Amino acid sequence: MPYKSAFTTKRIAEDATISEKLFHLSMYVWVMLLSLICVIPFWLVVIGSFTAEGSLRSQGFSLFPQEISLNSYRFLLSGEQVFVSYKNTIIITVVGTFLSVLITSMMAYVMANRKIKYRGVLSFIVYFTMLFGPGLVGFYILVVNWLHLKDTLWAIILPGLFGPWNAFLMVSYFRTIPYEINEAATIDGASESYIFFRIYMPISKPVIATVGLFVSLRYWNEWFYAMLFVDKEELHPLQIMIRSLMSNIDVQRYVQGTDVNIVTNVPAMGVQLATVCVTIGPILLVYPYVQKYFVKGLTIGSIKG
Amino acid sequence: MLTRSIQEIRRNIHLYLLALPALIYLIVFAYVPMFGHLIAFKNFRPTEGLWGSEWVGFKHFYFFFLNDYWITVTWNTLYLNFLNIFFGTIFAIITAVFLNEIRFVLFKKISQSFIFLPFFLSWVVVAYMVFALLSTRDGLINNVLTQLGTDGVSWYASPQYWPAIITTIQVWKGVGAGAIIYLAAMSGISGEYYESARIDGANRLKQIWFITLPLLRPTVIMLTLLAVGGIFYGDFGLIYSIVGENALLFPTTDVIDTYVYRGLRSNFSSSAAIVLWQSCMGLICICTVNWMTRKLDKDSSLW
Repeated sequence: MPYKSAFTTKRIAEDATISEKLFHLSMYVWVMLLSLICVIPFWLVVIGSFTAEGSLRSQGFSLFPQEISLNSYRFLLSGEQVFVSYKNTIIITVVGTFLSVLITSMMAYVMANRKIKYRGVLSFIVYFTMLFGPGLVGFYILVVNWLHLKDTLWAIILPGLFGPWNAFLMVSYFRTIPYEINEAATIDGASESYIFFRIYMPISKPVIATVGLFVSLRYWNEWFYAMLFVDKEELHPLQIMIRSLMSNIDVQRYVQGTDVNIVTNVPAMGVQLATVCVTIGPILLVYPYVQKYFVKGLTIGSIKG
Repeated sequence: MLTRSIQEIRRNIHLYLLALPALIYLIVFAYVPMFGHLIAFKNFRPTEGLWGSEWVGFKHFYFFFLNDYWITVTWNTLYLNFLNIFFGTIFAIITAVFLNEIRFVLFKKISQSFIFLPFFLSWVVVAYMVFALLSTRDGLINNVLTQLGTDGVSWYASPQYWPAIITTIQVWKGVGAGAIIYLAAMSGISGEYYESARIDGANRLKQIWFITLPLLRPTVIMLTLLAVGGIFYGDFGLIYSIVGENALLFPTTDVIDTYVYRGLRSNFSSSAAIVLWQSCMGLICICTVNWMTRKLDKDSSLW
């Protein structure tokens, strides 16, 4: 990988002067401070979710809270909403990623295929959508008035299903695969869909993994279309659950359902924090394993265009 | 001509079938809604639909441009994007250069992972973290300020701080990704340059200044131009999820996209007029930028 060679470029610092030592020090300080700044907000919400509500109320958000408690999670997990929202987010992410990778890679394969005379036209059709968008108004009318998708999960999955950027990323990858493979398979009598699904897809695993991860991150974090098109609480994904908890909602009813009526002290702040944590939890868990794919995606994407 | 097209499609019918789902998708979700721009020239009523509504010409454009507020939202959009491009680029380059120079591999790996982490958050989660930091009563920053003996600031009621706050958030979320891109560009620099510079007696600072930075220039120019191409599009996700409906902050944070979104509730047609204006300005911007990149470097132009 090209970006790795940067790490291994060895330049031995010879006769380090004072200014160079200072530079060296400031380099470490800068990187360390920036890392800290990037992690502190994570610590703030994670530790906050384990803080007793009373402590949150009196102390506010704190890096070192006085009293630790699991109450927020107990309250959150005793209700239905968090499970419903989790289910919705997972459905959106899985279905969205699958469909998106499928139609994007099929299109990219055709755009990269030398047999196709009109691949320029196809590329233009894709490219033009990046230059001149339909705009929010037309899009809203399409989804609500023409397709009648309001209050369905499809209204969250379908917008942005086909990513032009991802398509071009895949096109450039497919072009690096020797065309002889395609020719040989055709001579052996393989059909086009066989060539694509059985030959190209397996050797394109790296780019499919990269695009798939970018797409699934987008779906996991999707909230705009959900905010625009979904009102029903049983269709709320996790992101909208966080937004709802931050608005002036009856927390007990929203989290635990209407028929529950235990008079307890509702840990309103703690529940918000706990919901944020269960939302980002899966991302943090897989982060060490998937980081390299995102690095690769950014690197290829930028070098290409 | 037509028969040749039909022949071509017939010959490769199986391939065109593979492209069909994406084509249908694009037509339905990207091309059909473009008719929505027509609403800008009509008095849209949901009951009468797009075609039934009455034509009113440029009325909604007059309304938008007569009111001075169009200057506010346009200025905010351009200014906030400019701040993000400027500071985002500088921070990403500095961070990339430093990460590239650091020899302590474990330290570099861990810090790079930390710096990249905010990239993975949704704006909703970021908005909550910002609230945890800036909330007037409970926020960490105000807690620290009061402990230091100064009065806390009611951040959510003080528009003057928000260009800085928004830029900080954007840099915080984007610096990792930016640094990764610049690191990749740096890895393309041949080690021989540094070798010969060292023989000539250049120290590391000088090597950075005279080799690394000049050779990063094409990447910087490309990425900046690309960002400038989108300068008429505000960062809706960030601004709406953090500022939302807080009108106190509108003077410095309301951008075209948030203005349009709120307009959607009252009047589709005037929103559509602003969207059309934005799309046209965006198109002009991208074409200009592409023309400029072509002059600078033919291979890296967009088309």
